[in-house]
Amino acid sequence: MIFKSIKWRLQLWYGVILVAVLAGFGVMAYQLERGRLWRQVDEDLHRRFAVLTSALHQAHGPENRHRNGHRPEPPPDGMPDDFPPPQDLPLEHFTLPPFAAGWFDTNQPNGFYYLILSPTGTRLAASPNAPAAPRGEVPPARNAPGQEPNNPRPPAPAWTQDGFREIANHTPSDETVVVGCAIEPQRRELKLTAVNLTVMGGLVLLVGLAGGWWLVGRALRPIAEISSTATKISAGDLSQRINTAEAESELGQLAAVLNSTFARLETAFAQQQQFAADAAHELRTPVSVLLTQTQTALTREREAASYRQTVEACQRAAQRMRKLIESLLELARFDAGQEILSRQPFDLARAAAECVELIRPLAEERRVKISTELAPLEITGDAGRLAQVITNLLTNAVQFNQPEGEVRLRLEARDGLAVLEVADTGRGIAPADLPHVFERFYRADPARTGAGNSGLGLSICKAIVEAHGGSIEAANGSGSGAGATFTLRLPVRN
Amino acid sequence: MRILIVEDEPDLLASLAQALREEGYAVDTADNGDDGLFNAEGTDYDAMVLDVMLPGMNGWEILRRLRQTKKTPVLMLTARDQTRDRVKGLDGGADDYVVKPFDLEEVFARLRAIIRRSTNQTTNLREIGNIQIDTAARVVSLHNRPVELTAREYSLVEFLALHRGEVVTRTQLYEHLFDENESSLSNLLDVHVSNVRKKLGAEFIVTRRGHGYCIE
Repeated sequence: MIFKSIKWRLQLWYGVILVAVLAGFGVMAYQLERGRLWRQVDEDLHRRFAVLTSALHQAHGPENRHRNGHRPEPPPDGMPDDFPPPQDLPLEHFTLPPFAAGWFDTNQPNGFYYLILSPTGTRLAASPNAPAAPRGEVPPARNAPGQEPNNPRPPAPAWTQDGFREIANHTPSDETVVVGCAIEPQRRELKLTAVNLTVMGGLVLLVGLAGGWWLVGRALRPIAEISSTATKISAGDLSQRINTAEAESELGQLAAVLNSTFARLETAFAQQQQFAADAAHELRTPVSVLLTQTQTALTREREAASYRQTVEACQRAAQRMRKLIESLLELARFDAGQEILSRQPFDLARAAAECVELIRPLAEERRVKISTELAPLEITGDAGRLAQVITNLLTNAVQFNQPEGEVRLRLEARDGLAVLEVADTGRGIAPADLPHVFERFYRADPARTGAGNSGLGLSICKAIVEAHGGSIEAANGSGSGAGATFTLRLPVRN
Repeated sequence: MRILIVEDEPDLLASLAQALREEGYAVDTADNGDDGLFNAEGTDYDAMVLDVMLPGMNGWEILRRLRQTKKTPVLMLTARDQTRDRVKGLDGGADDYVVKPFDLEEVFARLRAIIRRSTNQTTNLREIGNIQIDTAARVVSLHNRPVELTAREYSLVEFLALHRGEVVTRTQLYEHLFDENESSLSNLLDVHVSNVRKKLGAEFIVTRRGHGYCIE
């Protein structure tokens, strides 16, 4: 369970990697140290070996050669009693040069020692602390017969045996020279190094894990905040926002993106609520009509004409509700992007002229004159839907006009757009209402709740125009007698 | 009882007016704010049904202006059902509040209630000698037996009973029993008084010649 947490998993991986790196470093440091120590020991051995071979070479000098086979004298530097007296040491005149005398720890069993053996294996010379025979197996003589005998060869690689390190070689005269020493001090030093490395590695690991824990916690803190905010929002409090103090980091950017999403969500939600409340509100009046009409009619027996009136009133209320519901559904389809628009090329001027003919009876009834100025202009779009927009704008222009007023409809191409203007000579729109006229259920005059006015007409116009990639705006005309002007802009080729 | 209804939805206005007339009220109507205020200021209505959203002057404004001169009980009628709207209406001087859509029964009951309160009554029952008046059921009983009265006759009895001991002038009676479309020059009132006396006894309504009528 605990390893499902990102923090713990990060910590675990971090720990594993840290251990691996530390172990690698430790092993490498140990190996380097070991190599260094061994090299040092080997160098010491080689130096002594060189001195020894040159001394031996001198002992084999022509003046001494005849003495071979004789019992040697004791070593010049004396010999402690605890070493057995050397035997079979025929190299009577073999002495170490004075500068090298102290190189062999003659009285320490763990010090440097040497051993010179005859080809038959008898000891020719040895330091007092030398073992009876080489501890390791001396490689066989490698010089083939006939090779230059006086040319000294480098010794064979050193070997380690029973806690001692030795090198050995064969002289041209086939004696075997062995130099060795105990490597106990080096082993102790290596052990100490290993302990030191382990302790230091452990400390670094601890510090690293602690630091990692702190860093991971710090890095994950914004996630905790995002999560707690998201929880509050999902619980219904849409006004919550993530605190984006670290706006520069990746999580800060994520928080900013989430915040803007939350803001849009809240707005959409509020709009939806407002829309639902408005829709319910709009249904109240027609339902009131239905209820009062039917309840009144049912209180007693009535004449047929009275029932007829009631039924007619109910029908009007029902029609009004139907219109409202249709408008709501239409808007909902546009909102959801489900409204399918046909995309056919057609002459907008001709469509507008047809709309004018449609609206003319209403205009004549209100004694409003409609003048048109329509340049033929072919655009691509849904002719029926755009005609609905134009009819709606014309109807408003006629309805909100004054008697003997005028409605001017103008269509022209401007900057690659089809621009359609519907201007009336009514009272215009109050400046406070101008920004809101396309809002759903917004009415400049709140009581204008007649059956023909659902408060959604202009919202639907806007939705249709925007679905065509166009725009619609309302303004008040300037000059005397100028009322409201609605301007429609549509791309010519959609 | 005479009531003014101010409502801009014609079908709602018509059916409300009809229903209230059938309940025995004299009903005047106005379909916009300006006419509504004009009527309300010009006549002593027993109650007023007032819509909030009206063309011209809205309901709040009518209420505010009316309260400067009149104490007419007002029942607000509106599509707004938020608490703050109710509070605004009641604080603005409305006596009660009904949210659309409503049931007629409830509107009737609330109207009776605000009229009762405005005349300082606590119950719907009044007893005058051996005559009982139930203003909720709109029934008048003599010796515990219901008496058949027309709606107008009942209204006459109810109005005089509410002003028991006071002399009610013919003008007052015309104002409260007849709506604006009925001629006050007719002798309709005398006919109703005469009919009530026949049904409830000649002494029930006393004529104060030159002044009006009275129930003692």
